[in-house]
Amino acid sequence: MLKKKMLRDIRKHKTQFLSIFLMAFLGVFVFAGVGGESVGLEVNSDRYYEDTNLADGWIYSNYINDLFLYQVDILGATTQMERQLVVDSVADFSNDPEITLHFVENNTISKFYLVEGEPLDINDKEGVWLDKSFADAKGLKVGDRITFKFENYTLEKQIRGIGYSPEYVYHASKSSVVPDFSKLGFAYMSYKAFPEDTVPYNVLNVKFDGTPENYNDLLSYHMDGYYNSFVERSEHTSVSQFSEEMDQHQMMAGIFPVVFILIAMLILLTTMTRIIAHQRTQIGILKACGFTDRSIMLHYISYGFWLVLIGSILGLIIGPMTLPKLFYPTMSSTYILPSWEPAWSLDFVYVAIAMVLMSVLVSYYAVKSIFNENPADTIRPKVPKVSSSGFVEKLGFFRHLSFNARWNYRDAKRNKFRALMTIIGVIGCTALLVSAFGMYDGMNDLKEWEFNQINHYDSKLVIDDEASTSEIDDVADEVNGDKIMESAIEIESGTAKKSGSLLVLNHTDLVTPTDYDWNRIDIKDDEVSVSRKMADMLGVDVGDTVKWHIMGSDKWIKTKIDKIHADPTSQGFIMSADRLEYLDLNYTPTSIVTTEHVDKNYTAIKTANSMKDMTSSWDELTEAMWLLIYILIFFASLLAVVVLYNLGLLSFTEIEREIATLKVLGFKTGALRKLLLTQNLWFTTIGFILGIPVGYYILKIMWESSGDSFYVLPSISLTNLAITAVITFSLSILVNLMFSRKIKKLDMVESLKGVE
Amino acid sequence: MSTIIEFKNVDKVYKSGDHILKAMDSVNFTIDEGEFVVILGPSGAGKSTLLNLLGGLDTVTSGEIIVNGNHVEEFSDNQLTSYRAKNVGFIFQFYNLIPNLTALENVELMKDIVDVDIDGLAVLDSVGLSDHASQFPAQLSGGEQQRVSIARAVAKRPTMLLCDEPTGALDSKTGVLILNLLQDMSNNMNTTVVIVTHNAILAEAADKVIRIKNGQIESIVLNENPKKVADLEW
Repeated sequence: MLKKKMLRDIRKHKTQFLSIFLMAFLGVFVFAGVGGESVGLEVNSDRYYEDTNLADGWIYSNYINDLFLYQVDILGATTQMERQLVVDSVADFSNDPEITLHFVENNTISKFYLVEGEPLDINDKEGVWLDKSFADAKGLKVGDRITFKFENYTLEKQIRGIGYSPEYVYHASKSSVVPDFSKLGFAYMSYKAFPEDTVPYNVLNVKFDGTPENYNDLLSYHMDGYYNSFVERSEHTSVSQFSEEMDQHQMMAGIFPVVFILIAMLILLTTMTRIIAHQRTQIGILKACGFTDRSIMLHYISYGFWLVLIGSILGLIIGPMTLPKLFYPTMSSTYILPSWEPAWSLDFVYVAIAMVLMSVLVSYYAVKSIFNENPADTIRPKVPKVSSSGFVEKLGFFRHLSFNARWNYRDAKRNKFRALMTIIGVIGCTALLVSAFGMYDGMNDLKEWEFNQINHYDSKLVIDDEASTSEIDDVADEVNGDKIMESAIEIESGTAKKSGSLLVLNHTDLVTPTDYDWNRIDIKDDEVSVSRKMADMLGVDVGDTVKWHIMGSDKWIKTKIDKIHADPTSQGFIMSADRLEYLDLNYTPTSIVTTEHVDKNYTAIKTANSMKDMTSSWDELTEAMWLLIYILIFFASLLAVVVLYNLGLLSFTEIEREIATLKVLGFKTGALRKLLLTQNLWFTTIGFILGIPVGYYILKIMWESSGDSFYVLPSISLTNLAITAVITFSLSILVNLMFSRKIKKLDMVESLKGVE
Repeated sequence: MSTIIEFKNVDKVYKSGDHILKAMDSVNFTIDEGEFVVILGPSGAGKSTLLNLLGGLDTVTSGEIIVNGNHVEEFSDNQLTSYRAKNVGFIFQFYNLIPNLTALENVELMKDIVDVDIDGLAVLDSVGLSDHASQFPAQLSGGEQQRVSIARAVAKRPTMLLCDEPTGALDSKTGVLILNLLQDMSNNMNTTVVIVTHNAILAEAADKVIRIKNGQIESIVLNENPKKVADLEW
């Protein structure tokens, strides 16, 4: 019979129970959905790396012979190694695609991941195993023949298999951040396919025990001079680019859904408490009839339990099944993984369990607090709190306020919990909206800052590695361009060690460093400037000295920091060519920037990129981020609707009697509507104003955890702030309109009859 | 007839902050099995407190309440609950039905707490409401609701029916009907009925009239020949 009562109660208060269900569902849905996306990326890439036995590190050397292998082997830490010859070749197509050839000794480390055809056979001299993205872009099939040209060799091979490689999850040429799979690719072959008897191996893939740092130390201690460089897994371009992308997703997945679920949980819990509080006299009746505390408790706990349980389970299942599917298509145009499957993490289950447990606990305490009262009191409605005139009411002007203002003030004062919860609900929604819109603005700022405020050129010509100084100068003169040098570096200060970038400028107006307010700053010839974020990460400031070296060179240099600039996408040093040479380093320009539009091909130039190309590839690269932001905005608004409606409904039920009394006294529906609206607007305004700094703070945390290279100042534009305000206030008013219908329908007799 | 209820020196003190209210002040009385008892007194005399103490909804500050030889004041919460379930049928001024259950369901709700086979329809029939079995409390008149509440209380065959101003919210005609019903229950089923009221006329129908004032017993009067409720002059 109690079950029947529960079902009827739920039907009667269906909106409240629906919102309990929705909040449990939405909270877990967003948490597990956004989380499932980023966990999915991690799980997929980890599994892929493991299946293909991705190398822990790569040792580059000009010639890796048996003695070299022996030396690496006796380092002790090495557990597995395999030589490869990796060369750049050009495949025989009209657009001269760059194909990186891997001649492998036995295909045991960083194995080729076969999708179709036959597995890589080390005794097969005539076969090649080709990059699937390239094969798809060119329409190549297993069995087709393909020709590669490199150095003085021309190789024609038959495609035996098509697939992926764990070293090419991210594969872009130096000239473009977004891969164009018709222009580049990779291919695996047996070492026996190499045209000479001795294969000039140049890469040693290694697996080792212990940390990469240890291994690096061992290597440099025992084999200094025998090898050119050592790259550990986390520094590998493909691995690091993908993990940076994952970091960005994780920051979104780590902060926003947590805030989201906390708000959902908070509102869910207050709703449950208040629903139970409304049942006070009924609890009293059941007690008077002789129901045991236990059966009453079970009855009320099951109210929320089933709904929250079902909501959480649905969210847990549907979230990771749907949300990641929205991201993966855009991501798979940039990154190549054999599978894009969302993954579940135990964390999601814990959160769902926490949600259910919290709802049970809160019901328990709500009922318990009623039990603790004397049963004789419980069968009567709660005695209204005695209101006393506070300080505000004693002020002279209070008496002159309208009835509306006075009523609302007193109502809020007497129902502090309700007022507080409404305000907290609005704060939460505003904060979510502000942070979601803040991400939107930040991404736009970032683009504007990078492509309009700092870089002013129209074309960027990437200089070929082989080009001579005079050739470079000729091109620079012809296009009226300025040479710049960009290089990857590693900076160390005290205990912190960070990789970053070096930008060497030579009196150019086309690349102008700025401070964080986007004001141009002048870095003098004898100055070294470090970016704000790098300075923060290293814990250094102007006047401090740091140690750094160019990647691939082991020459460490000590430099004093003279200035601090700010850059949205690259963190590191900016200095002049003079300063670089003064530090005894070679000035080797890597690109030429010019305001002219360059179409012509130069031998010294590898590729020419227009500003348009770069901004559009930036857009493509950030597509997934944008999508995430839109989803956040959507769910923040949805949560706002549920929260505000629910809070409004609860408040309305609680003051229904008072409203009915006022109606009986002759207040018009319009006046009563205004009464409720006033209160609503007060709370919304307070919540909104307090929500902005909270949202700003969330935004700040989100940007701070956005990976090492991004630097964005948390800010939200006035337009978006206005949109947030419009969303919040119109929801609040909309909810009020829904209640005005209820006021009209309010049955005065019914709601005043029987103190039950 | 044997004594079924005994109050011995019962005190009940309410404290709220500095304010101390003595709601029961050394109250002594006995009630025999099957008696129809009316407790009279002005508002605030402590009538409801007495009833709540007897019904196990509230606990004494000191003194003894002996029901069927058991000391109610010594009961734990669990014992109080099963005492209420087995021995006590409450009837309130405002009926206190579960709004979301029909008349029949409100009666059959008692199946969940006692091991008595309840024929809900038959009980409803005994209060003359079998036609309204499937209606919700809000669809019933006050008198009808109170009859459902009586049906609910008697359905579990309690030792005593405790009625707190059962006619307080009803017109006199309906009130008589309700009181008649209660008197019949007392006579026919040998159920002890305790009615709290401030309506002195009812005294003539009672086997025993207990008057209280300011938390103290003013008088206890036995009626040799109680009138039928229906014969009272309202």
